Amino acid sequence: MNLKSKINNQIFAFTSVADVMAKANAEKSGDALVGLSAASATERVAAKLCLAEMQLQDIYENPVIPYEADAVTRLIYDRLNTTIYRQIAGWTVSELREHILASTSQNELLNLSRGLTSEMIAAVAKLMSTMDLVYAAKKIKVQAHCNTTIGLPGTLSFRNQPNHPSDSIEGILASLKEGLSFGSGDAVLGVNPVVDNVDNFERVMNALVNFRKLYDIPTQCCILAHVTTQMKAMEKDVPVDLVFQSIAGTETANQAFGITIPMLQEAHDMALKQGTATGPNVMYFETGQGSELSLNCHHGVDEMTLEARTYGVGRAFAPFMLNNVSGFIGPETIYTGKEVIRADLEDLFMGKMHGLPMGIAPCYTNHMKADQDDQEVGTMLCAMAGANFFMGVSGGDDCMLNYQDTSFHDDASIREILGLRPSPEFEKWLEGLDIMADGKLTARAGDPSIFDKPLYNNKGNKY
Amino acid sequence: MNTQTEKDIAANVIKELIALGFLDSTGKTTNVPPTLALPGSPAVDSEPVELLSAELIGVDNPHNLDALKIMRKATPARILMGRCGCRQKTASLLRFLADHAAAVDAVFKDLPETFLEQQKLFQVKTVVRDKDEYLMKPELGKRLDEASRAILLEKCKKNPQVQIIVVDGLSTTSIEANIGDVMPALVQGLMTMGVSVGTPFYVKYGRVGIMDDIAPLLGCEVIVEFIGERPGLITAESMSAYLAYKPTHATIEAERTVISNIHRGGTGPVEAGAHLATVVKQMLDHKAGGVKLAEQVK
Amino acid sequence: MADFHTSIIRSIGIDIGTTTTQFVLSRLTVKNMAPGTLVPRMEITDKDVIYRSKIHFTPIATNNRIDAAGLLALLHDEFEEAGVRPGEIDTGAVIITGETAKKENARAISAQVASLAGDFVVATAGGKLESIIAGKGSGAADYSRNYLCTVANIDIGGGTANIGIFHHGSAIDSCCINVGGRLLQVDPESVRIIAISQPMAAILAGMDLALSVNQRVEFADLDRICQVMATIIGECLGGNSLSELAQQLLMTEPLRHDYQIEAVMISGGVADYVYGDQGWPDPNHGLRHGDIGPLLGREIARLLPAEGHNLIRPTETIRATVIGAGARTVDVSGSTIMVDDARLPLKNIPVALPFVEAFPADSEAIREAVTRSIGSFFAEHELAPLAIGVPGSGYRSFADVQALATGLSQGLAPLHNAGFPLIVIVEADLAKVLGQSLRARNPAAAIICIDQLQVKEGDYIDIGRSIAGGTVVPVVIKSLIFETRQV
Repeated sequence: MNLKSKINNQIFAFTSVADVMAKANAEKSGDALVGLSAASATERVAAKLCLAEMQLQDIYENPVIPYEADAVTRLIYDRLNTTIYRQIAGWTVSELREHILASTSQNELLNLSRGLTSEMIAAVAKLMSTMDLVYAAKKIKVQAHCNTTIGLPGTLSFRNQPNHPSDSIEGILASLKEGLSFGSGDAVLGVNPVVDNVDNFERVMNALVNFRKLYDIPTQCCILAHVTTQMKAMEKDVPVDLVFQSIAGTETANQAFGITIPMLQEAHDMALKQGTATGPNVMYFETGQGSELSLNCHHGVDEMTLEARTYGVGRAFAPFMLNNVSGFIGPETIYTGKEVIRADLEDLFMGKMHGLPMGIAPCYTNHMKADQDDQEVGTMLCAMAGANFFMGVSGGDDCMLNYQDTSFHDDASIREILGLRPSPEFEKWLEGLDIMADGKLTARAGDPSIFDKPLYNNKGNKY
Repeated sequence: MNTQTEKDIAANVIKELIALGFLDSTGKTTNVPPTLALPGSPAVDSEPVELLSAELIGVDNPHNLDALKIMRKATPARILMGRCGCRQKTASLLRFLADHAAAVDAVFKDLPETFLEQQKLFQVKTVVRDKDEYLMKPELGKRLDEASRAILLEKCKKNPQVQIIVVDGLSTTSIEANIGDVMPALVQGLMTMGVSVGTPFYVKYGRVGIMDDIAPLLGCEVIVEFIGERPGLITAESMSAYLAYKPTHATIEAERTVISNIHRGGTGPVEAGAHLATVVKQMLDHKAGGVKLAEQVK
Repeated sequence: MADFHTSIIRSIGIDIGTTTTQFVLSRLTVKNMAPGTLVPRMEITDKDVIYRSKIHFTPIATNNRIDAAGLLALLHDEFEEAGVRPGEIDTGAVIITGETAKKENARAISAQVASLAGDFVVATAGGKLESIIAGKGSGAADYSRNYLCTVANIDIGGGTANIGIFHHGSAIDSCCINVGGRLLQVDPESVRIIAISQPMAAILAGMDLALSVNQRVEFADLDRICQVMATIIGECLGGNSLSELAQQLLMTEPLRHDYQIEAVMISGGVADYVYGDQGWPDPNHGLRHGDIGPLLGREIARLLPAEGHNLIRPTETIRATVIGAGARTVDVSGSTIMVDDARLPLKNIPVALPFVEAFPADSEAIREAVTRSIGSFFAEHELAPLAIGVPGSGYRSFADVQALATGLSQGLAPLHNAGFPLIVIVEADLAKVLGQSLRARNPAAAIICIDQLQVKEGDYIDIGRSIAGGTVVPVVIKSLIFETRQV
């Protein structure tokens, strides 16, 4: 294996595969904080050059965290299709890049994916430019089914995210209605609870489920509490369609999240057995570059490579959605608008290359050097690259989590700009309520009070 | 307590509040909110253009206006803005930009000198060099620089029961908006309970953990740290109070008691100060904070 | 911290009506609903009915009095059945409704039952308040809130129909009419009249129908009587001018009709025959309770939709009032307060509002306003406990609070000197800092300073001992517009 490269008569030597991977990474504040990033622009390119000529077997034989030391590494290696891997073990990362960019078949790429470790996928993304990432990501769109289908060609779905700073049901329903009136909610109706316990979970979930029932909304409901809370809720027969959890790319970071791989397996099996969804996809994961770093569980590995490993965890549980929120954590991981956009596109490509039904939350906090323009650019690029879904937040401002994410307005705009449609069942429902016609919002759309006339009397008759 | 000592305490509280500069001799507070003076300009006679209220309902021809009015009260979320095509109307777009600008300014602007003078706070700082370093390297905001340690040893009352510190954190705006109310309310509450208070000061480029550096230095029992929260778009004025009982660098987060969301639209600063006095008293009585305190008072 | 200081309030509702007497025991859960790092916010989160008594006939003695001994014995037995002792009940309300409220000893009995039930159980009376309580118990208030509409709840019992109007969850109007299912008692076997109440005599006179006790009555006439009663209810709901008979039977002011009623809900004993069983194989079956309640229900079910009303189903029928009384009268204060528990509970404290809107920032103006208020309530040497209400919900500075504390201390000095506690009810979340500021000025005074409650001049307030580790107090606010100046 070669760990040296030469550019303009300058020779650069690297200490390990992990070192090459980190230095080949685009600039991110998190890598700099830990002291992993390239010292100069030229060194960054030198690392890319070194990485390009590395064979996939070099990466296979040098996992960034050893197999014995980390449950995530073990999960990834134990699930790898060795037949496929052996056929391509001699490819260089450069060859893999060119193969992916030239490929015209989603099936071929997804089959190839089964022979790639997460670190190989990270490596190839490090050799891609922004347009490369969009171009490659666009080739893959993975479908999944919970109660409804997500990721069909020509569709773009949204999570209606009606968070409220004190979990007020009335407040949650107000934002929920606003989002629905903009055509948002076909991915999931999903609330981040302020208080994470079973009582509160039940209270908020019942409000969502009752509302969905009242209006026959074809979608799934989720309260994004800790996985253990959701399991306790299922034990109490609280309706659970989708089980949510934040996951990370190292065993120690997952421990810091209070989870283990067997725990995720148990939750997954429980959701299939005791949950309320049709399935087969019943998990909802969230991830983001830098979470391992912010938990001090990075093991000297760059944040992008760890993010790829996180997808290695995610794909083991056939999720309905995997949502990436790079940009949520803050300046110590990702500082500028350029860093966020780059991370979003890397993540979208890497997730899809893992065979995941990917969504992206192009987002920013107010202590980053990023603004609404950066976010809108990121959103348009991710939509062009074929994201399955975005979040939907009223006015783009999450008043509970205190960060900015895609708004109901931006979501509806993107559908119109790119001619994308909601999931078919949901579109039919929108048409029934006269919110959408021919894939466009009607004059009635954007008015949440259309849900505020009694629909039925207590005898069940429609008024 | 007998009535005479109670009367003495009462007289002392008012006297102390005047001495600390929270009240003037007629019993009114000296805290005047800062105003922005307009420099001389040729447009002096024209009325300034203003943002439309965030409360505005922008939905055209609503189905049920009463319902929208109720929703408006139900959540601080940015709903009911209406639309032009799929895009935001100009008023709500400008409101968003203004709120983001306020949030960015809250993070990046320094606290004005005049405010510190008004509040009779002197300034010390951590080892952080500038705002970028502060934001990207959170650990550095937990240690005072050497000069600051010397200043504190020189200027502060030693071994008080309670030390109050004011820290910029991620919003200097929140400090400016709340300290003038929360501080005298806390001090008054502590005095009515007969608790002694140290010399308050301001720490620049500080994180929550800075209290672990300060408390051992000054030998206080309970430390109350007012710190600016990461601003959202709803408000850039939200402040937290972190409290701990004899913290050190070995202190873990679960040992701190936190009261967050202190601002005019959340827990009002005056009531928050009064509530904090009760919490401090509990911490002194139980010699603990955080989860341990919560369990003991259950 | 989220489960910090969860408290249970045991609340009783007792409804002594024209026909029936019943009680329910509810368990109200008071929990901290604020996320862990916020200042606590205790709220009533669950209202579970844990015991429902049997529905008893109200014991009536002759000579227009309630049979007090019979009533107390009945309640005593039911308490035993429920497994509670009066001392274990924290709060609740006793209501005497319908014709029973006209009995000579009604008020005295209501007070007696309240004190038997527990030291913070409230006695109420008056058709307007009961209309509101019934609508809260029937689900009409919640319905109007959930669907953002205006709902009329008509609670029809043996003697009266109480109409409460709810708009987006709040009661906005109410009235009470002397129309009910037991105004005429008829023997189901012989179809002979057993008793004709006074209001029924008026109805019969209005119809030019002469009936007397012991007389056999035609079913056709009974149907006509019920049609007339249903029509009167319809008139009251309708908003056109009232017939002479309706005016005669109205026990309160009529509804104002400055709103549009979008749905109508019926509760009370008669409701079971509005929504349920309306046809019966044998005409006598309609008289199975010895009165015309079922026949009246059937008429209402026919008439209201015919008049264009949208009839919706309640969550409670005959028990609406008692459940409303048991679970929907008590509220809790804000969670940062200052109270002297030794001086609680306090009952029937009149409320004065010295300021119309937000309080002034000048202590002298505050002192003057408070002094004026006290003067308007009491003659100089006849002071009694008085609560000062402080309206206004916006931000106030430390300086404002200091001015308020100074003004209140000076203005309330006469009450303080007379040995009464300083009772202040603030609308904004300021009670703790105001309490501490009052304490700094009056170290020896008993201070009851609570907040996040809206009171009006002339309201009466009951304040219970603190619960949930001293963080909140239960309160019952009785508004004068609901005519509850009481016992």
